[in-house]
Amino acid sequence: MNPFLIILIKTSVIYGGLIGAAALMTLAERKFSAWMQLRHGPNRVGPWGLLQPLADGIKFIFKEELCPDGANPWIFRLAPILSAVPAMLTVAVIPFAGNVTLFGVDFGNLSITDLDIGVLFLVAIGGLSVYGVILGGWASNSKYSLLGGLRASAQMISYELSLILIILCVVAMTGSLDLRAITEAQNTGNPLSWNVFSQPLAFLIFVIATFAETNRHPFDFAECEPELVAGFHTEYSSMKFALFFLGEYCAMIVMACLTATLFLGGYSVPFWEDAPWFIQLGTFFAKAGFFAFLFIWVRWTLPRFRFDQLMHLGWKVFLPLALANLLVTGAVISLA
Amino acid sequence: MVDLLFYVAALVAVLTAVGVVLARNPVISVVSLLTCFGSLAVIYLLAGFQFLAAIQILVYGGAIMVLFLFVVMLLNLGGLSPEDEDGDDPLFHDRRRSAGGLAVAVALGSASLIGILRGARHLAEPANGYALPDEGFDALPALAEAMFTRYSLPFEAASVLLLATTVGVMVLAKRQRAVTPAGEKRP
Amino acid sequence: MVIVKRKTLTLAERLYLPEILRGMSITFGKMFKPKITRQYPEEPLPTNEVTRGQPRLRALVDGNLACVSCGLCEAACPAYAITIDGQETDRFIEREPEKFEIDMLRCILCGFCEEACPKEAIFMSTELELAGFTRASFKYGIDKLKRSTEELAPRMEYIKRINQRW
Repeated sequence: MNPFLIILIKTSVIYGGLIGAAALMTLAERKFSAWMQLRHGPNRVGPWGLLQPLADGIKFIFKEELCPDGANPWIFRLAPILSAVPAMLTVAVIPFAGNVTLFGVDFGNLSITDLDIGVLFLVAIGGLSVYGVILGGWASNSKYSLLGGLRASAQMISYELSLILIILCVVAMTGSLDLRAITEAQNTGNPLSWNVFSQPLAFLIFVIATFAETNRHPFDFAECEPELVAGFHTEYSSMKFALFFLGEYCAMIVMACLTATLFLGGYSVPFWEDAPWFIQLGTFFAKAGFFAFLFIWVRWTLPRFRFDQLMHLGWKVFLPLALANLLVTGAVISLA
Repeated sequence: MVDLLFYVAALVAVLTAVGVVLARNPVISVVSLLTCFGSLAVIYLLAGFQFLAAIQILVYGGAIMVLFLFVVMLLNLGGLSPEDEDGDDPLFHDRRRSAGGLAVAVALGSASLIGILRGARHLAEPANGYALPDEGFDALPALAEAMFTRYSLPFEAASVLLLATTVGVMVLAKRQRAVTPAGEKRP
Repeated sequence: MVIVKRKTLTLAERLYLPEILRGMSITFGKMFKPKITRQYPEEPLPTNEVTRGQPRLRALVDGNLACVSCGLCEAACPAYAITIDGQETDRFIEREPEKFEIDMLRCILCGFCEEACPKEAIFMSTELELAGFTRASFKYGIDKLKRSTEELAPRMEYIKRINQRW
């Protein structure tokens, strides 16, 4: 089969899956939050409310596009794109499963591409999504938006440091920046070879830093409703607002996938080294789904931090801990 | 295909670089500088330097430009208004300073032009062109070794230079604010 | 001066994480508890004779309204929602409404009309739902307001009972 066609099929399947998952995530957010608060959640549109995201999408499309007075129209329009596109691009390097053979056609490994610098690509492109927040906040010409944007971007670049240092620990253990190589190094059939057991502190810091990186509770200073109305997207309406949300949920899904890949062995099935690809895919979904659920679970459990507490945690706790972790990892690797 | 991508990226890089200088609004300048870095990363990628491209986006795009944006927003520089150009603008107010700035710009420009011309001679040689190296990422250990052994002093010196620049910017920004009488809104 | 004594936190509490896990176990447990939301259109609100819903006119067994168009409810209505045009009739009560109109958008469901009525002709029913597409559709005439005595009987009994207390 034409290799170009195969790449096209894989790309469309994975991106379709990502957007579908993001839509489902909005529904899951509302469902789980409802259940935790003894409510039912959306259950009117389709069976169990499954078509609710579709209804939301149609509603967003028919809403009026507003551009506030005195706002910079071009940057105002650019910001949602800058927020959504990097978050969606990063899924390209996530390895979902091993070699896929379907209907007698060999599709190769189930990921859009296995970049040699996969981790770097993910961090670099993911880091760009901060522009959507900061430019959206600035271009809205509103004090709430500006404050929300500034806060959120300060938070994102602060936690990106710890995040990258922690990723470096994992990279140092594997000796590769390729996410598939990192997965394969953990895929030994023994769950104890997963990085979560050799790097428990790194795992903890990573999970918490992902919450800050995606602007989720308890670190959602980008929105912070009681203080900033809705933060950087206060002035946004219609599909532009929806793009911000799409970006946020895609970033969450990618972060969940990344956590599963780096620390839980990605698609490696416990005690079954060379499982068929659909079992691997199911395993991967189970692991990533747990972290996606964790995002929701934490959001509806914890109150918001104060901004100074957040910065304290990021710079005075996580950064030294991450550095020390990297140091110890490096020392152990060079001694062993 | 690769050639076409290169020319598109190069055109975008040049246009946005011009945009950085010409834009009235500092935030627009920052955004066009960001686009410029992005297209430079594309050029690196086409030349086979995957690592350099990723680092370009990670460091310049992800970190440094965010700081620029922060500074621009926190200093609250408005766009230049038309009356500023009539001589009220501090940049063009002092003829001597403008002349000095022009001299530095000409010097820098000619230096980079010489560099480009010299590089172009090498480019004409049939090296591996824009093709991706087969081993891909294997050049990275060599790069790391060179950076942390042979060139560690220039590397550290560059970081000190950056630090000095940061401090200088802070000093300049502070002094400008101190000159402004309290209560008077700067344009 | 009030001195607020802060509790000194133990190490486990200052580490956040054990407490966070405790909180998360609580929210996780709550997910499987029975839901308390009422699924409204399928499970309507429980009503009884005390429910003070929209006012309705009582019809006698012969189908005519009990109303004699005395205008007391019209006078008692604080929101000026009631409009009555009376006319003569051959029946024993001699007067009946030609037009009895309640503007349901003005009605505040206070029940003063029910209290003012000397002929037990207007009662607050258990009907609560109110929806329409035009303002005109909310002006309820006799055709929409008329209810049989059986339908309003529980409310009638209730009003009689509480009136006996005075």
